[in-house]
Amino acid sequence: MEELIEQLKRELITELNLEEITPEEIDAEAPLFGDEGLGLDSIDALEIILILERNYGIKIENPAEGKQIFYSVRTLADFITTNKK
Amino acid sequence: MEHPITNVYITADTLISSLGFNTEENLKAIRNYRSGVTLQEDGRIATTPLMAATINPEGIASYLPEGINGNTPETCLPRLEQLFILAIDRILTQSGICLADGTCGLILSTTKGNIDLLAGHTDTPDERVFLAQMAKRIGDHFQASQPVEVISNACISGVSALVVAKRWIETGVYKQVIVVGGDILSPFITSGFLSFKSVSSKRCLPYDARRDGLNLGEACGAMLLSSEGAPEDILLSGGAISNDANHISGPSRTGDGLYLAIRQAMNEAGVSPEDISFVNAHGTATVYNDEMESKALHLAGLETVPVNSLKPYFGHTLGASGVIESIICLHELKEGILFATLGYEEPGVPMPLIVPSSHQPIDMKCCIKTASGFGGCNAAIVLTKASYSVPHPKDTQKAGEVRATTTVSIENNRLCVNETPVISSSAPDFASFIRETYKNLGESNMKFYKMDDLCKLGYIAAAYLLRGTHFLPEEIGILLSNAASSLDTDIRHQVIIDRDGDEAASPAVFVYTLPNVVAGEICIRHKIQGENTFFIEETYNPGKMEQYARIAMRKGALKACIVGWCELLGQAYKAEFKLIEIQ
Repeated sequence: MEELIEQLKRELITELNLEEITPEEIDAEAPLFGDEGLGLDSIDALEIILILERNYGIKIENPAEGKQIFYSVRTLADFITTNKK
Repeated sequence: MEHPITNVYITADTLISSLGFNTEENLKAIRNYRSGVTLQEDGRIATTPLMAATINPEGIASYLPEGINGNTPETCLPRLEQLFILAIDRILTQSGICLADGTCGLILSTTKGNIDLLAGHTDTPDERVFLAQMAKRIGDHFQASQPVEVISNACISGVSALVVAKRWIETGVYKQVIVVGGDILSPFITSGFLSFKSVSSKRCLPYDARRDGLNLGEACGAMLLSSEGAPEDILLSGGAISNDANHISGPSRTGDGLYLAIRQAMNEAGVSPEDISFVNAHGTATVYNDEMESKALHLAGLETVPVNSLKPYFGHTLGASGVIESIICLHELKEGILFATLGYEEPGVPMPLIVPSSHQPIDMKCCIKTASGFGGCNAAIVLTKASYSVPHPKDTQKAGEVRATTTVSIENNRLCVNETPVISSSAPDFASFIRETYKNLGESNMKFYKMDDLCKLGYIAAAYLLRGTHFLPEEIGILLSNAASSLDTDIRHQVIIDRDGDEAASPAVFVYTLPNVVAGEICIRHKIQGENTFFIEETYNPGKMEQYARIAMRKGALKACIVGWCELLGQAYKAEFKLIEIQ
């Protein structure tokens, strides 16, 4: 699990153009969206859906489903572990 | 120099869409509750089948003036150019005017022009992909003596173009202006909207609780605006543009931006909510767009005025939508019939709206047409029956000296403010140079690194230009121009889908395939809600842009305006921004 969390942090940094941020600076429990944490937005959410499809073979059709799944890096990792084929 | 108020009449129109090849065919289809949205399986439109409204290609060929396509496939005009030429040719024939004597202007409104020609040719893009080249070719076809203007302002392009045309006529730049709006579909566009998960798998249902997205559509429509007309004509009596200053793709959660545009357009037309017979809103049927519109219409005091959306008939026709939907509006005004929002059953917006599901006879005076688009832009116009006498609004034109107060230029690794170098860099490429200019600002805005290069360039130019200034959100506007539109990012998007297929399209890339998103990013950063317009020109024409800024500033609430050139393609870039203010 911890390995997956580190991998996810690196993927988020590259795919979402989070320049100036290191994996160590991302708190796995902190909210990804909104004013706190990484401050991601709706376009980032769509990009995370693409990361899940491309890198983990998991499809999310309805972006609204993503709300709880995308809460933090840890919830994302949990979701991948449960759903990865 | 004060000008007397000139009425702007709409004296001719034509419409080509999925529903027909002239205005009457389109009106007939709508009267019969017919939709042009069908399942599209043509690979030319999209690689995965989707619900969309497309123009029958054989139909276009049969209507084109003879000999226009030459005799070989090489001389055949791009599909969109054929539509533009057909529409303009019809207006010229109907009105008997010509573009050669300099009294009639021509504005093209489009989001993506001939972008279908980019597929498979990203290394050396066809020159016809450049919007200014397309405009020049069309101008040459009609022997136009004046330059052909292009406005590319996302989904408000058509309404924006009508606002520009109106102001040109009022200030005597032209006696007449043809506004022609057109966009066609190709995998470039469909893959991008699919990546945004904003496309419905059924016919779209604006304002309905069951709505789950939009349908894309193709269309081309043209209108002739004139300083002279007849009592039975329709007047373009008000027009305004605003920005949400909220998000580049998500609509405002409050509706305040669209409300501002509606309020200003109504003020200019001198009308109040009691004068408005109906509102034809953007009504794309995405969850958030329709929600935002319901709030804006309530803020504007229009909650008791019936509303319709024409998207279930035409789909969302992008840069054409503002023009073609205005054409339908003017015929609704003339005929005294409000067209239904096809398929509407179950109210589904937070602020209740009156959305008729069948055509209604209405006593017509005026209507409002609105549009909203990526980059946070909104636009509204008021169309009035010339026979309905609205007491003429007072001439609210502001007096006062308009002059440039600050300039910023960015070119060749150098950033100058008021012609004095502030940063001179030896950076090896644009990316490192622009990062250096950003660091120098001392800001920490994570969004900066997510922007495409064109937006980074404009963002930095505006940040240095506006240092130490204070304006209220409504007081400042942004008028920008360039030659390459968003081609730098268009190529990135095309490379991804050429290489990995349409389903690999990235929403974070696609959102930047519109040049006006630069203005949107500047608006978000500096809380600017005033007018935004993006013009495409072959080369920078500061005189023309500043003249237009003066017209815009004397009209509305603007006290200041950012005027400039923001061009970037590969490693070639240049920004030239000027802040002009009313003293």
